[in-house]
Amino acid sequence: MEVGNVCVKIAGRDAGLKGVIVEKLDTNFVIIDGQVRRRKCNLKHLEPLNEKLDIKNKASHADVVKAFKKLSIEIKETKPKTKKTTRPVRIRKIKEKKELPKKDEKKIVKKIAKKKEKK
Amino acid sequence: MRLHSRSMRKLRKRMPGGRKKIAEARKRPSMPVCAVTREVLHGVPRARGTDMTRIQKSKRRPERPYGGMLSSKATRLLIIKKVRGEI
Repeated sequence: MEVGNVCVKIAGRDAGLKGVIVEKLDTNFVIIDGQVRRRKCNLKHLEPLNEKLDIKNKASHADVVKAFKKLSIEIKETKPKTKKTTRPVRIRKIKEKKELPKKDEKKIVKKIAKKKEKK
Repeated sequence: MRLHSRSMRKLRKRMPGGRKKIAEARKRPSMPVCAVTREVLHGVPRARGTDMTRIQKSKRRPERPYGGMLSSKATRLLIIKKVRGEI
């Protein structure tokens, strides 16, 4: 297995999808890209195909997408996750407080005195 | 619901007066099994009816093609056969 070999992933969420070897890390591990997520993968989880692509070592995702178009394989591009935007906040209407006419203090004092006499 | 039938599981309980009684409850469903290899499947909870619908969809089965139906070994063999043109 060398850089540029097209292969199919056998295990994981991406099982059944096609990818290309972009970089070789070890005798056991490899970086893969294409219809599959760009990440490290074990060679045991890959099944090689007869096809090969002209790709440099450590090629970018854009180069991989171009190379796959020659084999008439389309790669869906998902939108990058944007930061959470603040939801619109509902602004409540503030009722204007009506100023009540001030009561006479003398009347209030008289009422309180009457209540005390009754008790 | 018909209680006191042979398909219900029996529980021994002690009542507040000191007496003992036998209560009845439904049995748990059996372990899910691979359709090809008959191995026990991982990632599928043993829940009945409405309990299963209340669990989130992503927690009912593994996120893999044929997840919850075939084991990981069986899916690998299937994909390899498809790629090599044997199927």
